[in-house]
Amino acid sequence: MPQTFPGTIPLRNFGRSQARVSALGFGGHHLGEAPDEKAAIEIVTQALDGGITFFDNCWEYRRGKTEIWMGAGLKGRRDKAFVMTKTCPHGRDAALALTMLEQSLRRLQTDHLDLWQIHGMAFDNDPDLFIRPNGAAEALVRAKKDGKVRFVGFTGHHNPKVHLGMLKTGFPFDAVQMPLNAFDGTFRSFEQQVLPELNRRGIAALGMKPLNGHGEAIKNGVVTAEEALRYAMSLPVATTITGMDNLEVLHQNLQIAQNFKPYSEVEMERLRERCKQDAADGRYELYKLSLKFDNPEARLAHGFPLDTEQSEVQDMLGAQQNTGHPFPEKKF
Amino acid sequence: MSDKLECNRRNFMKNAALFGAAPLISRGSMAKTRDASEQTVPAGQVPQRPMGRTGLNVSAMGLGGYHLGSAETDQIANEIVAKAVDHGINFFDNAWEYHDGLSEERLGKALKGRRAQAVLMTKVCTHGRDKKIAMRMLEESLRRLQTDHLDIWQIHEVVYDNDPDLIFAQDGAAEALLSAKQQGKARFIGFTGHKDPEIHLKMLSYDFPFDTVQMPLNACDATFRSFETQVLPEVNRRGMGALGMKSLGGSGELVQYGAMTAEQGLSYAMSLPVSTTISGVETIEVLDQNLRVAVNFQPLGEGAMDQLRDQCRLAAADGHLELFKMTTKYDGKVGREQHHFPTVEKLPL
Repeated sequence: MPQTFPGTIPLRNFGRSQARVSALGFGGHHLGEAPDEKAAIEIVTQALDGGITFFDNCWEYRRGKTEIWMGAGLKGRRDKAFVMTKTCPHGRDAALALTMLEQSLRRLQTDHLDLWQIHGMAFDNDPDLFIRPNGAAEALVRAKKDGKVRFVGFTGHHNPKVHLGMLKTGFPFDAVQMPLNAFDGTFRSFEQQVLPELNRRGIAALGMKPLNGHGEAIKNGVVTAEEALRYAMSLPVATTITGMDNLEVLHQNLQIAQNFKPYSEVEMERLRERCKQDAADGRYELYKLSLKFDNPEARLAHGFPLDTEQSEVQDMLGAQQNTGHPFPEKKF
Repeated sequence: MSDKLECNRRNFMKNAALFGAAPLISRGSMAKTRDASEQTVPAGQVPQRPMGRTGLNVSAMGLGGYHLGSAETDQIANEIVAKAVDHGINFFDNAWEYHDGLSEERLGKALKGRRAQAVLMTKVCTHGRDKKIAMRMLEESLRRLQTDHLDIWQIHEVVYDNDPDLIFAQDGAAEALLSAKQQGKARFIGFTGHKDPEIHLKMLSYDFPFDTVQMPLNACDATFRSFETQVLPEVNRRGMGALGMKSLGGSGELVQYGAMTAEQGLSYAMSLPVSTTISGVETIEVLDQNLRVAVNFQPLGEGAMDQLRDQCRLAAADGHLELFKMTTKYDGKVGREQHHFPTVEKLPL
């Protein structure tokens, strides 16, 4: 009998609402790296058993595969989960965002989302495009009014200034997602610039990229996985979302989260100091720096030139054949 | 490179059309289609402006030092400098590390006998190292430039988030600037960087007596991570000389991607409240193109400035027209090594 880690993870308040979510959140993107649907269902099942209640996903991850697999994994236990997914208009109209919502609900096999967020605010003009008449802001209002989503928010990993620009639109967000880790603590810092503002406004703060996206700093021995995860979870956030593409990683994360003890301020400062020198050029947070880490779907929707040598771009152009319409439904 | 760009652009146009997005970028590239020999430089001089509170007057266009080292031969570099001086350019930029000293050597030779007419600037490249190294670089720069003093000596490439800490550490580069000034080897001192307005603001927050500050200024910068809106007003408020650079995006990206013509780009940058706009030139043809804008230059009105800002606002928003703010492409090798960062080759962004 393989080892499992059933248990509980501390629950935290979701902003000013009555909802509570697990301090560790399940990242949806990595679920697509599981070998097949059966393996994915097992990961989701064990995550629920281990005390994770917060589940992240996104309409455009793996062309829908991760939503479909998560839906299958949550089947029959939907009420145990706080389900979030994201819509991907990238500056386009409210109607497109709402079409994506219907697809997400169907794939996730549910009639409502706990949280629906605008995906990937990255460019300096994203706040303007979001709040314009007929922009995605109107879709958030509509979906909430129709009872299809309980809470609404936005995400992005590129630049704290863009997040602040989104907050300046005055839209009543319930949640905001951002990269939070010990490197971010001193480099173009969401922790310093955005997090305090969310806490002040009572908006639920959702951390992501606790291991810097792909764990480069851990591979290079700057921090351990436990240090990195504990740092992120010790910040004043509702949850810390991290991707788990296999049971081994899930189990490692569950052990840390089930026995979670926050770092003291002194320990936090020590870890930031250790990372500071390596953080200063941003190479451990390439999502803040490089155009190559931009989502090609978002670049295309904005009319920015694409690097056709990128594999993501080639996949995208091939799979979609540029109909200008949302992705055709695909079987996985 | 140009093939790839062309390919990207073609794909982009196709995709943009299919998605019904408004095409932001046209394919025209004015600078390349014009035959330089058809046009001559008009009679007259590049106008001069005060450089902050220094009492110096500098030409509204400056000659960038890096590209002097890229010119095909010493002879061409000589001709560029001579022609620039003849048309009233008196501001000369350089850096200790450009082309391993070749840029300074060429400028030194080219200015021989005309040193008095020049406002000579070069930069020190400690990249976080101490004062002693800075002073050694100063001696080398003076020797290469064949002079006993610089008009301006700046700290080069302040682009990493921890650079201000390193520069103002005890025995750091800031102390070297003061020593050089006291010794009469540098009349004025400053710093330069191309990455992030917040790093410039942090440098200014030390209230160190900088005389000059160099920064990227162009019509895209106006709306994207903007030095123009965040740093330039502060530099002016403090009475420092503002030195603009990267008026066309660093390698002509503004023109390449069709955001505007070279003439528009240069005119925009030169119309800002700066002492000079430094532009790199490696051929007489490019110098002529610059001089046609700079000789007898009249600043654009606020309406025309706004129009140019608007013209590139949407395309500016991801930073592909200002790669120096986004990628490692413009980060110097020595700087990355000294910070223990991987080289650009190992970190292609």
